[in-house]
Amino acid sequence: MFLSGGCLLGLLDAAGKLLNPSEASASFRYLDLFFLSFHVDGLSAFFLTAIFAVSLMAAIYSFHYMENEKDGIKTGVNYFFFSILIASMALVVTASNILAFMISWEFMSLSSFFLIIYSHKSAENRKSGYLYFVFSHVGAMFILAAFGLIYGYTGNFDLATMAEMPETVKILIFVLSFIGFGIKAGVFPFHVWLPHAHPAAPSHISAVMSGVMIKTGIYGILRIYAILDFHTPVFGYITLIAGVISGILGVVYALGQHDIKRLLAYHSVENIGIILIGLGIGMIGAATNNPLVAVLGFTGGILHVLNHSMFKSLLFMGAGMVLHQTGTRSIDALGGLLKGMKVTGATFIIGSLAICGLPPFNGFVSEFFIYMGSFKAIPVGSISFAMSVFAIISLAVIGGLALACFTKVVGVVFQGEPRTKAAEDVQEKGLAMMIPMGILAAACVIIGVFPKVFINMALTAVQSLGLDYGGVPVEPFGQITGNITFAALLFFVVVLIVMGIRSIYYKNKTTTKSGTWGCGFTQPTAKMQYTGSSYAGSILEFFSAAAPLSEEHPPIKGRFPLKTHYHSHVNDIAELHMKNVVVRPVFYLFDKLRWMQHGDIHLYIGYILLAIVLLLFFI
Amino acid sequence: MIQSILLWLAAILAAPFFSGLILKIKAFFGGKKGPPILINYYTLIKLFKKGSVYSNSTTLIFKLGPIISLAASLTVLMFLPIAGHNPVFSFNGDVIFVLYILGLGRFFTIAAAMDTASPFEGMGAAREAYFPIICEAAMFMILIFFYRITGELQLSAYFAGSNTQSMWSSAGAPLLFIVISFFIILLTENSRVPVDDPATHLELTMIHEVMVLDHSGPDFALIELGSFCKLIFYSSIISRMILPFESAIFGFPIVMYISGLLIVYVAVGVTESVTARYKMDKVPQFVLTSFALAFFATIITLEFVK
Repeated sequence: MFLSGGCLLGLLDAAGKLLNPSEASASFRYLDLFFLSFHVDGLSAFFLTAIFAVSLMAAIYSFHYMENEKDGIKTGVNYFFFSILIASMALVVTASNILAFMISWEFMSLSSFFLIIYSHKSAENRKSGYLYFVFSHVGAMFILAAFGLIYGYTGNFDLATMAEMPETVKILIFVLSFIGFGIKAGVFPFHVWLPHAHPAAPSHISAVMSGVMIKTGIYGILRIYAILDFHTPVFGYITLIAGVISGILGVVYALGQHDIKRLLAYHSVENIGIILIGLGIGMIGAATNNPLVAVLGFTGGILHVLNHSMFKSLLFMGAGMVLHQTGTRSIDALGGLLKGMKVTGATFIIGSLAICGLPPFNGFVSEFFIYMGSFKAIPVGSISFAMSVFAIISLAVIGGLALACFTKVVGVVFQGEPRTKAAEDVQEKGLAMMIPMGILAAACVIIGVFPKVFINMALTAVQSLGLDYGGVPVEPFGQITGNITFAALLFFVVVLIVMGIRSIYYKNKTTTKSGTWGCGFTQPTAKMQYTGSSYAGSILEFFSAAAPLSEEHPPIKGRFPLKTHYHSHVNDIAELHMKNVVVRPVFYLFDKLRWMQHGDIHLYIGYILLAIVLLLFFI
Repeated sequence: MIQSILLWLAAILAAPFFSGLILKIKAFFGGKKGPPILINYYTLIKLFKKGSVYSNSTTLIFKLGPIISLAASLTVLMFLPIAGHNPVFSFNGDVIFVLYILGLGRFFTIAAAMDTASPFEGMGAAREAYFPIICEAAMFMILIFFYRITGELQLSAYFAGSNTQSMWSSAGAPLLFIVISFFIILLTENSRVPVDDPATHLELTMIHEVMVLDHSGPDFALIELGSFCKLIFYSSIISRMILPFESAIFGFPIVMYISGLLIVYVAVGVTESVTARYKMDKVPQFVLTSFALAFFATIITLEFVK
């Protein structure tokens, strides 16, 4: 009963969402309650579209994903918080004053915290939830500090006007909010919670969290940038460098993962990096009075928000299907799933191609815009030259690494032969799980081939950033999208021709089936296949400075050796150093202050009085 | 347009011939007679006549691999100005599209190799995924260099008409770096010695050859044709860079183009004859050399080209 009630709630939720996007894309809507005010402009509308699209898909997906759960209350609780999460995300991107924003933000953080600890019986999941809780609240503190500064200087709660403010304060606000929102978005080195939280949450929640929730961080950065109305290249440099580091290290760590959902989580860090590179280029363009660069960069970055929400939720759903049917997340335990899981496999491959930024899929379109923006920024000046080179080369390297990473996932999980019992004879089931995957895969192709409408949407979002370009000329962008469409179609035609030629030559031919050529070895087993770890090994070695590999491998001894094992783990330097540099000193400090916590309630009241008296001096 | 399409077809048809030339050069250095110069055509015809054997482990991806990789090579050739003529198609930013389409071809080649469940092919696939990462960085560095000089992002702006000549006159010295850097990329991307050895059949020493071990018949023919086309794509660019001369005399650009190609292929053949394949862990250093060269060339343009 609880289960069906929960599902119904989820579905009602989804139906409500379907109606909203059309309403949201119409511009202005006010709703004044107390101090809370909400306001939809182009930027909010764009993020709303992504939020509602992905949440709808996730809600449908969850219908079959959750059906086998024994515990009705748990399912009900899950849908309850899921609904709150969706609503609060929508409120975050529409909030137009500080109070409304902070309240929605907290609702979002808390509801997603409860969703992460869905499987609360596992200690590891509880730990991940706790980590997320701490990180999101440290982030909220930074945001609160930034908002406090804003309030201190403007004297009202509106998130709109703050043109007159000393420049140093503006920079401080930007940096504070960049860190605060960066924690939510998963910018390196604040991404530590991300690879822990995503595997812990149920797959449809991971899809929503990675697809759209972390994007609210990007939204926050953009919103603050827009209201500060201060175009200094420094913002661009900060954003771009943060983007480059998150992008490259995110994908390097992803390559080293053995857990498919952890791997996808690290890819979110990478894609946030790509988005930030785009925004950074845009900010540099805006600061150097280069409208074309600015618009190209921002459009690419913002479009990548939508694109990433499409293919990343698709990939998480695919991973969820694999987890659901095999019961394991370990890449090296799987293999050959494509034979039993046609829809999951095919859509997962489409998602992989899209995330690698390959044409004719949607990832390419946004990366193409960012490339164009970066190239156009080359002649601007010597620092922006260095920044462009930085952006272009890192985009190229990210693309190559992502390709390596996803050929690994596709190759090891879906292709080859099953490596363990768990992966044998796996079938896919659950129509409600396959339909969203199909739709999202179709969206990836459609955006990739016909990007025009979506680019226009992104352009509308860019316009509301208040860059004062009046109407951005749509003409050159129409040309770019036209070219992308043309090139994609051309490629399809060539593929069809080659297919035709191939089928001519295969007419009336005998094709036989036999085992894979074992180079003369006649007793191959599935264990001999290349594993994901060995596939990624040589690349990781190249990046060993940033991604140190710890291995555990007891040597083989004696004539009749006992069983041995090999275990490797890629250390995340952010996690490692955060533990050593931040957590330990803080613990040490607070340990020293233990004496203040003595349990005497009278003295506690004394502390409060003392604090108030002290504060009175400052007012 | 018609002329461009004809040139495109001619390049595809001539690609196996030039690759055969490399075999001849190697035979010459080895003091052997070598296979006939048209060997690659014979091989292709032979393969197209055959049927195929598919491994039990494979899926549809295995059959898609050759199709996509050939289609990718054919598509990128359409954007290449051959012998200084305008390419079949061209648009602003087509270079990025071309590089990414080649990436798509690579994705499917790797996926097809992983499909077979063979440890050898997995090993080849891992290397095929690794080295091009650095190559791609070097390629984009070269692209930045070209953009510095021409301010354009399309292949025709670099290699069509008199554009290449004006590049030489504005930044001749750094362009020499680029030629060498590009030659290294050619060797890597097309799996030639000293990165890969297309001749050995000892699986462990190879990258590309080992990945296609299980392909047979027309499928294998498509792969072979695709790699010939890819090689001629890269060679055409170098050919244009080293012999960019223009003249009104009929057929002059074609002659220049073919002599350029001959130089490149002979250089590849000579390299293969006089050097051995590097140890796999030395390859990244070799490819990084190409990145460094392109990087220096670009730095130099900061002073030269204002």
